[in-house]
Order: sequence, then structure tokens, then C-alpha cells
Amino acid sequence: MLTREEGEEEQEEEEEEEAKGRRRAFSVNDNVDLLAEILGRLDGRSLAVAGCVCRLWNAVGRRDSVWEAVCHRHVAGGGSSAADGGCSTRSVVAALGGYRRLYRLCIGPALDRLAGSAGGRGSTTTTAEAAAAHHLSLSLSLSLFSIDCYERLGGRQQRPASLLFLCKPVDVS
Amino acid sequence: GHSDRYFKKKKEKMKRGHQDTLHGGGGWYAVAPEMERGKRKTTMGAEEGGEVDELLAALGYKVRSSDMADVAHKLEQLEMAMVSSAATNDDALLSHLASDTVHYNPSDLSTWVDNILSELNAPPPPLPTPPPLTSADAYDLKPLPALPAPADPLVLGSDLQSEVTPSPRDRKRMKVCSSPPSSSTTTDTATSAAAAMPVVVVDSQEAGIRLVHALLACAEAVQQDNLKAADALVKQISVLATSQGGAMRKVAGYFAEALARRIYRPQPRGGVGCCSFDSVAFDDMLHMHFYESCPFLKFAHFTANQAILEAFAGCRRVHVVDFGMRQGMQWPALLQALALRPGGPPSFRLTGIGPPQPDNSDALQDVGWKLAQLAESIRVDFRYRGFVAASLADLEPYMLLDQDADGGGGGKDEEPEVVAVNSVFELHRLLARPGALDKVLGTVRAVRPRIVTVVEQEANHNEGTFQERFTEALHYYSTMFDSLEGGAAAAGADDGGPDQALSEVYLGRQICNVVACEGAERTERHETLAQWRGRMDRAGFEPVPIGSNAFKQASMLLALFAGGDGYRVEEKDGCLTLGWHTRPLIATSAWRVAAPAEDPLSASAAR
Repeated sequence: MLTREEGEEEQEEEEEEEAKGRRRAFSVNDNVDLLAEILGRLDGRSLAVAGCVCRLWNAVGRRDSVWEAVCHRHVAGGGSSAADGGCSTRSVVAALGGYRRLYRLCIGPALDRLAGSAGGRGSTTTTAEAAAAHHLSLSLSLSLFSIDCYERLGGRQQRPASLLFLCKPVDVS
Repeated sequence: GHSDRYFKKKKEKMKRGHQDTLHGGGGWYAVAPEMERGKRKTTMGAEEGGEVDELLAALGYKVRSSDMADVAHKLEQLEMAMVSSAATNDDALLSHLASDTVHYNPSDLSTWVDNILSELNAPPPPLPTPPPLTSADAYDLKPLPALPAPADPLVLGSDLQSEVTPSPRDRKRMKVCSSPPSSSTTTDTATSAAAAMPVVVVDSQEAGIRLVHALLACAEAVQQDNLKAADALVKQISVLATSQGGAMRKVAGYFAEALARRIYRPQPRGGVGCCSFDSVAFDDMLHMHFYESCPFLKFAHFTANQAILEAFAGCRRVHVVDFGMRQGMQWPALLQALALRPGGPPSFRLTGIGPPQPDNSDALQDVGWKLAQLAESIRVDFRYRGFVAASLADLEPYMLLDQDADGGGGGKDEEPEVVAVNSVFELHRLLARPGALDKVLGTVRAVRPRIVTVVEQEANHNEGTFQERFTEALHYYSTMFDSLEGGAAAAGADDGGPDQALSEVYLGRQICNVVACEGAERTERHETLAQWRGRMDRAGFEPVPIGSNAFKQASMLLALFAGGDGYRVEEKDGCLTLGWHTRPLIATSAWRVAAPAEDPLSASAAR
């Protein structure tokens, strides 16, 4: 009898250990939405870097919803709109090229420019970006974005240049 | 180089004595004394002073044997100075030497080298402008070691006109061309130049002050119709401008060119003058580069759009009339803002006015098509109409009013459309022809706009005498060029690239128009905000204050520009101005019709 109980105990222990192992082996990659939620809390540069980790992260990191969260986090007047308002913003931004593009072309360079001109405020990038975000508005970013999108229409333009003032004079398109 | 070594040899020869001949040199030297004498008789008869070295004479240079040591030394200095100036990349100086310096007697090697040396040593010599002839000695004592002693006052007196203050460069030229009599002074300057090492000292601040004085003096001369003096001053300006760097040099260049055009212009033909490129496409291209390189146009668009957006709040049908359509860069942002406004986008109609295009008559339609594509993608109901008009005064109210096929006669079934009229740098052109502005403002009033947005240059380039206008324009465009320069510097680039250069051309054409043209040709008749306020008041408009949203957006926009701390957004009586440091450069204002009573014009036009 003892041996059987021992055997059962051992079996239970083994099962417990397996379960523990399975719990320990849980990875954020198992839940893509969770991953998206986490990545959406990064700043732009970190998110772009995260996209280089693996194919899954790259795919998730390219979701426009993730970049939408990033954009709203970094500009004023962003995420607080009503569901309806948010929906129309989303459709307009999508029509103009998407949030990822909006960040790459407008918000990112603008934040860099603001952080740069804020100068030796030292400290981390996040505080500088937070300070800058208080001033940069979504409406201004969208205005600049729409001008850029307009310039790219028609195809006659050699290079759309309306946003070059945000960057050093190098074609980044 | 080789000349150095040659002269060193000759120097040694000289030291050993004139009669020495090279041992084993050959027959040439043996017969030298005879040849020398022969040569002296034929070609050197006119030469004063000593004999001329025969070997150099064979090459075509006249150098007195007694001067050989000095000439050798000067050539050494010349080589050093040229090498060092080439190292500092002073292309302007060398090209100036190559093309602008006048050498009257280059075969007189001594004087010629002296001339070049003195130019190289002080490019251009920053001596104070000499007062006419009297105290010419005063600045001889200028403590700059590199400068050769200034010219002999005798030379000065005989060769120059009394009413023109000569530049130091002019004096040098005079000295060269009268070289034989002044050979003694040449020797003096040679020794004094030889005494000091060539040190390049350019007091550019002083030269800058003199440049401004020269510009103003030239304007005064033109005003007084003293074209001879003005001509001399223009040349002086061009020379002084090379001593400056950056913005000042370019501004001075454009003003000098404009002054020259004004002085030398032929009888006014149609379309001649500043706008040598009458192509509208070229103008548009310059405009685009100006748009991209500096914030003025963006500021204008953003502030005007904000005022229009606020005026359109709650309206379901809106109509914008743009007096200067060009590439339509103002409207994508407004379309986007309307698309995202609470309550959804209105039904949007745009009327674009543009000048006639000789080559491509579809430019207005192309722009409309692009905007329609954008509007469609963001789901804004969009209609477009383009009008080609040589002048805004050709517009009539019926062209701008709603001409819907349905709801006949002004759309009584639907909500009436709300109109906004937008003019960015267009109204001032109308001042060139009397009555044009009144007609246009009458047309605007007849359309019953909810808001009229006007952006104009904040400067008075229309009232007063030519001299006053010139002075005002000089200050204004100096500030503009400074801002372009400041933007490029802050971006870390050596220069702003083609954008900045073409923006400068764009501004240069305005300068040319302000300075060189008159009458109907002079279209750049800028006026200040106060002046426009008066005009709009008299035409029956009242101001609409531009809100703080526009101010915030404009400030934000400028913060994004490199060099943004030089730009200043200010609010002045409900209008916004954008300036560089303390000087406002452009102003945005908004207006509405003052008395919304029955206007017989609009009532009849509506039918």
C-alpha cells in the first residue's frame, strides 16, 4: 500500500512539476493581443527596434493599431476622443496612409526636433518626449501628414518635400 | 615657382655686378652688352630711370634692372599670398582678381605685381571712405601692416571727379594706369609692402556699415536723378558686397542689381524689367521652394485655415474662394480638419483663381483634380471650380456664387452655402492699378462671405518717396534673408541647399520689382497691417479676431522648424504676425462684412 501511495504521490509530484514547467514556459508570444498591448506602450524608436526581434514581433509591431496607441500616447489631444470621433480619425488616418506612416513621417521627426531643441535637458528620452508631447498636437501632425499625402498624389512630384523641414536635408522617403 | 628661382639668380647676378657674365654661358651672354645697348635704343627709349632687364624684355616684361631685387621679393610674396588665399577657399577674391581688377599695364611687371599684391593683401582694403580730396592723408596712418601706403594725393586729385567719393580700389586703378610718372611712389609702396608680411585683415563689420551707406547713398542719388553718381555707387556696392558673408552679401547683390536695372533701364517696354522669366511655371516653382524652405507660407496657411475652420463651425455647406490657387498647398490641411471636426465634414466647394498659363492651361484643373482625389479618400464631399483671370479685378460676383443645377436660383431648399474668401499675398498687387482693389473688395462684399482671410507682408513698400521705399525694403529683405540663413544654420547645413537658393531668387525678384519698377509694373506694393486695416475699414469690413488656437498651432509649427527660436509669433489686435526676432514680416488678419444690411448688388446677383 505504501508503495502505491508513494507511487501516486510521485506521479502527482511529477504532474505538478510538469504543470509548473508549463506555467514557467508561458511566453508573451503565446498571446498576440497581449503582445500588441504591451508593444503599444513603447515609444516609437523602441517599437521599431522591437520589430527586429523576431518575425512574430515584426508582424505585430507593424499593426496600425499598435502605432495608433503609440501616436496617441505621444501627442496631446489624442486618445481622449469619443468612440465615434476615434473611429472617424482612424478612417481618415488610414486613408492618408496609416498611423505607422504618420509616426514615421510626422510625429517621430517632430518629437526628435522638439527634443533636440529642448536641448540639454539631459535625462531620459521619455521625459524629453513627454515634455514635447505637451505641445505637439494631433491636429497639427495630421495637417502636415495630409499635406505630404497630397504632395504624393499625381505622381508628378519628384520628391514630396513639404516635410523635409522636419529633418536634415536628406531624402528620407 | 620658376620665376622665383630665375629672379633669385638674377638677384645674385646683380649683386655680383652688372658686367658679370655667366662663365661658360655661351655666345648669348657674350653679345649681351651689345644687344642691351641696341635694345635700349629701340624699345626702351621712352623708359625713364634705369635700363630694362633684357632677358625679361624678351619675354615681354619691362623690369628696370635696378628694381630686380624688389620685384623678385614681390613675386615671392605674391606666390605666398595666392597660396594662402587659395587655401582659405576665397574664390570670390580670386575671381575678382581674374575678372574685375583692371590692369592697365601688365608688361610693367613691377607695378603689376604690386597691384595684385596689394589687392591680395587687403581684399578689399577696409579703409574709411575718403572724404573728397582734402584730408587724404588722414587714413595713411591706418595701422594695418599689410596695406601699402595709399596712393599719391596728386594722382587722386588729377584723375577723379570731385562729386564721387572714390573707393580705395578706384584709386589703385588710377595709380596703375599712370604708372610711369608715379614710378617713385611705386617703389615706395613696393618697399613698404615688402617690409611687412602679407596679413589678411578684413574688418567686415566696418565694410558692412559702408555697404549699407553706399546702398542708401545710391538710392538717394537715384532719387535726385544723379545717375552718374548712382552708377559709380552701384559699382562700389558690388565690390563692398564681396567683403560680406552670407545674407548681407546676397541682399546687397540683389539690391545692387535692382538699382542697376533702374539706372540703366531702357524706355519701359511691355513686360520688361525684373520679371525676365515671365513664365508662370517658373514662378510657381520658386513659390514651392519658398514654401518648403521657410515657415512663412506654412504659417499663412495654418493661421488662415484655423480662422476659416472656426468660421465654418456648424455649417453644412461651405465654399472657399482662393485668390491665388497655385499648387493648392493650403487646402489638404483644411480638408483633413473638416473631415475630423465634431459632427462630420460639410459639403465642401472650392473655387480657385489663377493667372493665365500660356503653355499649360490645365494647371488649375490639375490641382483641383489632386484635391478631389484627396477629398475622396478622406470622404469629404468635394466640388471644384477653377477660374483663369489675369487680374483679380476681372472677377464678377456671379462667377463666385453658387450655381447648383438643383435647387435652382441659389439653392433655397438646402442650407445656403457659407463662403470664405482667402487671399495670401495677392491683394497688394491690386494697388498697382487705381480702382482695382476697390472693385475686388466690392466683389468680395457682394458674395457675402462669413470670413475673409488676408495674409500680407508687413512692410510699407508703397508709400513715400523712392528713397523711403528703398530704405524700408532694405531693412525688410535683410531680415528675410537673415531668417533664411538662420534656418539653414540651425539645421546644421552649410547652406539650405537648392531650397534656400531658390527662395532667395524668389525674394530677389520681389526686391527687383520694388526697387526697379514703377507704375503698373510695380506689383509688389506691400503695405503694413495698419494700412490694410484702414483699407478694409473703408471698404466696409470689420475685423474678426483670430483665436488662440491659431496662435498655439502657429507657435507649435515654428517650434518644429530648425532655427525656430529666431521666429516669433505675435498677436496684434486680433491679428497674428510672424517675424524674425523683433521684426514682424508677415501678418494674417481676418475680416467679415461690417454691415450685413441689404446690399442691392448682392440681392440682384443672387437672382
